[in-house]
Amino acid sequence: MFKKYLVITTAADLVRIAPEKIVYISSDGNYSNMVQTDNETRLLTYQLGQIEELIDDQLGKISPFIRIGRGVIINRNYIYYINIQSQKLILSDNSMFTHTVSASKEALKNLKELIEKEAKE
Amino acid sequence: MKEPRDIRDDEIRVIGGRDDQGHKPQGWKWLLLLLAGIIIGIIVWKCWPTQPEPQNEDPEQGVFDPSTIPVEQPSVKLPLAKAEETGHAFVEISDTIINDITLRLYIPHQVSMSLHLGAIDRNDPGIIFAAQAADIRADNGGIVGAFVLEGEPKAWGLSKKGYCAIINDTIKVGVAENSPLFEEATEKRGYFFRQYPLVDNTNLVENEPKGKAVRRALCDRNGEIFTVETLTSESFHDFAQALVDLGVDNAIYLVGANAYGWATDSEGTRHEFGDLNPNLTKKWRNISYLVMRGKP
Repeated sequence: MFKKYLVITTAADLVRIAPEKIVYISSDGNYSNMVQTDNETRLLTYQLGQIEELIDDQLGKISPFIRIGRGVIINRNYIYYINIQSQKLILSDNSMFTHTVSASKEALKNLKELIEKEAKE
Repeated sequence: MKEPRDIRDDEIRVIGGRDDQGHKPQGWKWLLLLLAGIIIGIIVWKCWPTQPEPQNEDPEQGVFDPSTIPVEQPSVKLPLAKAEETGHAFVEISDTIINDITLRLYIPHQVSMSLHLGAIDRNDPGIIFAAQAADIRADNGGIVGAFVLEGEPKAWGLSKKGYCAIINDTIKVGVAENSPLFEEATEKRGYFFRQYPLVDNTNLVENEPKGKAVRRALCDRNGEIFTVETLTSESFHDFAQALVDLGVDNAIYLVGANAYGWATDSEGTRHEFGDLNPNLTKKWRNISYLVMRGKP
């Protein structure tokens, strides 16, 4: 079996990265910022919706990513802490990195319910 | 074909096809709408005939009002005189007023032209000019009309009789129902796309679509290839008449309104027009651009 990578390519360059190396991708207008597990951040010349379609096409059901509102795509494997009232979502591997992402209360409530539901299955 | 996937700030979506409908507000309604859309899409897709370029049975032909006699236009070369003088690629940008319509002319120098399919790299400094070329079907996101990308046919059909063929750095802009240039472009790694015809041999061509919008066109005037944009919303008729009065010999439409593109002037300053649609989703794959780069 080949390891599955996400490949993001433009006319000038190419990024090839394993999904588990991505912590989250945030929208930056017409561009997106990809935050990696090595704490590097890479600017991608795609809108977040386009990145979502790339992930959907290339990774399909093995995708670990969840779109949270308009602003961010997170790797579900790094969800560590959700606080709806403070609209805080912490992504961490509890070792090398910790990132705090904000989202709407309703979105975080939906995310919390999803994680709870999956934990019961 | 998936529908464009908008998302609100209070929604989440599992990427990759997992079931997340229960986490959206009124998710079952969205599911029903999605299923209905998919079923209608499949029916339309199955019933919608596709024909190769030479045949005249395109499903969208009905929206076009043909009023011209198909005539193949002579080849024209990109302007080279000024290119040799300046020594670098740029786009000369100038405004003029014709019939009370302000037109912005983008006249390229020292460029080679091609087509690009998909999201364009805005960071590519080699692209001197970019403008959206072929239209995209609203129902399935496909390219409207025949389209050839570096010799590879990407779409077939004759919904619009204007054409642009780029073969061996030679550009032809004209009007014809059946053009051998489609085949020639496939044989010689060229490019080909179709659009509404606006001017045919100095004569105005009427088109069916009504309403007003910012209009753009690819023009040939005495062998000089350039593009024109209106700075105000105009009808197809008034735009085409302005091009005729500008002295254009042949012109076809380019995607207007807020379609994104840019031109780089002689100082190296990029002038953008239109805007990038944040909700393009799947459709961006079939967005085509007329691209001009500096000659090697």
